[in-house]
Amino acid sequence: MSESHATATSHGLASCHLCLKLVDDQQHHCPRCGAAVHLRKADSMQRTLALLITASILYIPANLLPIMITDQLGNPTESTIIGGVLLLIDMGSIAIAAVIFIASVMVPSGKLLAMYYLCWSVHYAPPGTVNQRTVIYRITEFIGKWSMIDVFVVAVLVALIHIDNILVIRPGAATIAFASVVIVSMVAAESFDPRMMWDKVEESDE
Amino acid sequence: MSEMKPSISTGKKFSAVWIIPLVALVIGLSMGIYTFMTQGPTITLDFETAEGLQEGKTKVRLLNVDIGIVESVALKEDMSGVTAVVKLDPAGRPLLREDTRFWVVRARVGAGGVSGLSTIVAGTYIEIAPGTGPLGQREFVGLEEPPQTPLDAPGVRLTLLSSQVGSLSVGESVVFRGYNVGRIESMEFDQEQRQVRYGIFVDAPFHKLINSNTRFWDASGISLSASAEGFEVDIGSMDTLLLGGVAFGAPPGLPSGSPIENGREYHLYESYNDILKNPYAYGVNYVVSFYQSVRGLESGAPVEYRGIPIGRVERILVEELAKQGLAAGSSTVGQAIPVLIYLEPGRLKIPDNQESIDRFKLAIKEGVPKGLRATLMTGNLLTGKQLVSVDFFPEEEPAELGVFEQYAVIPTIETGVGRLENQVSSFLEKLNSLPLEETVTGVNKVLDSADSSLASLTSTLDSVNGLIDSDDSRRLSSELVATLGELRSALTGLSPDSKMYQSLGASVNSLNGTLESLDALIRKLSVKPSSLLFPASPEMDPIPEARP
Repeated sequence: MSESHATATSHGLASCHLCLKLVDDQQHHCPRCGAAVHLRKADSMQRTLALLITASILYIPANLLPIMITDQLGNPTESTIIGGVLLLIDMGSIAIAAVIFIASVMVPSGKLLAMYYLCWSVHYAPPGTVNQRTVIYRITEFIGKWSMIDVFVVAVLVALIHIDNILVIRPGAATIAFASVVIVSMVAAESFDPRMMWDKVEESDE
Repeated sequence: MSEMKPSISTGKKFSAVWIIPLVALVIGLSMGIYTFMTQGPTITLDFETAEGLQEGKTKVRLLNVDIGIVESVALKEDMSGVTAVVKLDPAGRPLLREDTRFWVVRARVGAGGVSGLSTIVAGTYIEIAPGTGPLGQREFVGLEEPPQTPLDAPGVRLTLLSSQVGSLSVGESVVFRGYNVGRIESMEFDQEQRQVRYGIFVDAPFHKLINSNTRFWDASGISLSASAEGFEVDIGSMDTLLLGGVAFGAPPGLPSGSPIENGREYHLYESYNDILKNPYAYGVNYVVSFYQSVRGLESGAPVEYRGIPIGRVERILVEELAKQGLAAGSSTVGQAIPVLIYLEPGRLKIPDNQESIDRFKLAIKEGVPKGLRATLMTGNLLTGKQLVSVDFFPEEEPAELGVFEQYAVIPTIETGVGRLENQVSSFLEKLNSLPLEETVTGVNKVLDSADSSLASLTSTLDSVNGLIDSDDSRRLSSELVATLGELRSALTGLSPDSKMYQSLGASVNSLNGTLESLDALIRKLSVKPSSLLFPASPEMDPIPEARP
């Protein structure tokens, strides 16, 4: 990306967020769909950071509170995400433990860390790393929709296993927190405007 | 164109989107603070064994509601048991009192039934019984056996004292007329008092059946006893025979007493008959001392006043007697045997209270100078049991109440065989003390003088003999013969054939006729004395009257 080339911005054009029509950036509204026209996503950095922090805060109860309550003969057992993973390792189901661990621990936390890194990199990272950062952004966007697997497992178990008085599985408070982490981090990833990374590179190139 | 260019914000302006993490932070912090504030207390429980206790799984429950969980179980330092660290809910804080009790609920099979079956599948748990003492206790010693009744259960907790364990054990029932109203909670042996203390609990509302006059007895097993009244066999119901139990009730004829409070102590009677013999709460001790054998006189033997039972024999005060003997430095040989008796005025159908006792004591005190005495009697010839009888013996010499240790002593006399023996021996003593030797000496002297008298009599007779043999005596006798012949001829003149006798007979005959006529006159005069002066008019025949 070292070579300089013409961009829409340099021609005084902006892309409509909704219909992606190139509009004159002097226009306030898109002539085609009527949406507000911004050169870049409005307050992208602040929104992303705010949502990332929210997701990080929610991530604490998601791990501390029980995600699933197994009620066996009126004898309830609460299990957290990590506790469940350890239990599975104890039982010898390393594969399932790995899946749960990757989906419930590594993916959300990795995603949050990646987003923090991207936000930081917009202003401070060396321009040469922009390609790697683009890859990171793509991965982040892609795996975001898969990190709900934990909530999904709980939802299925709650629905399937409901034998009155013998074995009942109930969702714990962490389910809501965990789902919120996933949703908020997805929104954060959505509100991040990757063009900011490239803007910086192009600025330095000029 | 450039002045028409819209301003492009690059994040310098503070965006409203920051509210979202702020809200999340506030919610998160408040949750954290709330959790911290409502953190329940952590307590430690000591148990003998960790059987069934699982870290992070075993619950602490009150009325089957979870209020805590065992966090960790560790051996004590001296390996004498285990210590479980329990995390309680904040709701459990007011339960932690000094006398709060914890125990592990396991499946148990006992005389009282099967309990804790659900723990076989669902796992053991720790049950908590809230106490009533001061708050703030954090370290507890868990019970090994579940308590029989929760501390705050409505009802009354009592103590029964017994000298024998009998066939009672913890968990057995307390029955009222065969209905189960409570249970034995604890049993311990009091070393100092040397008796068994049973803790019993009677459920509400049955505790109202108990008052100060209630008696408790061991209703289990078979009792066989021989007493002054004969042999007795007592068998309870099959239920109490198999499981044992304590029954209670009021002795017949006794008014109900005052209400009772927790912790009252009662004597546990051995049987119902025991109560019938001892239905009274008030009594007074006396001592009676006997110089005769007390064989067959047992504790519980009746004390009677003219055949009416008024009390019982408590025991024979041998120890006290020996102690007194030691203290006095003299041997106790030959001393009277003191017997402690217990008299109950209530048996005489006077009110069973302290006032009656005082009056009774006064009556005894005044009775003794008038001849009130205790005696030992044989109650049953077959068993040879003896009893103490109290009666008045006015011919006895006046006496006063004595003192033995702290008891008043009623004077005694001996009766029955003992009395007979005494009378015989006193008679023999009197006989013994007669001056027989002096008498014999006197008699001897009399005989001696009689001897000499006889000798002089012989000589007198000899001289009489000589006198008779003399001529004068012979002449005298021939004269005597002549006199007798004359007397005979005189008497012949008076014989029935003589004239004199015949004239005498005629005179007597005429006198007889005179007397007969005189008799008729006298009879007439006695009927009508006036006939001596006025001539008698002939009497009219009675004329019958006609009836209308």
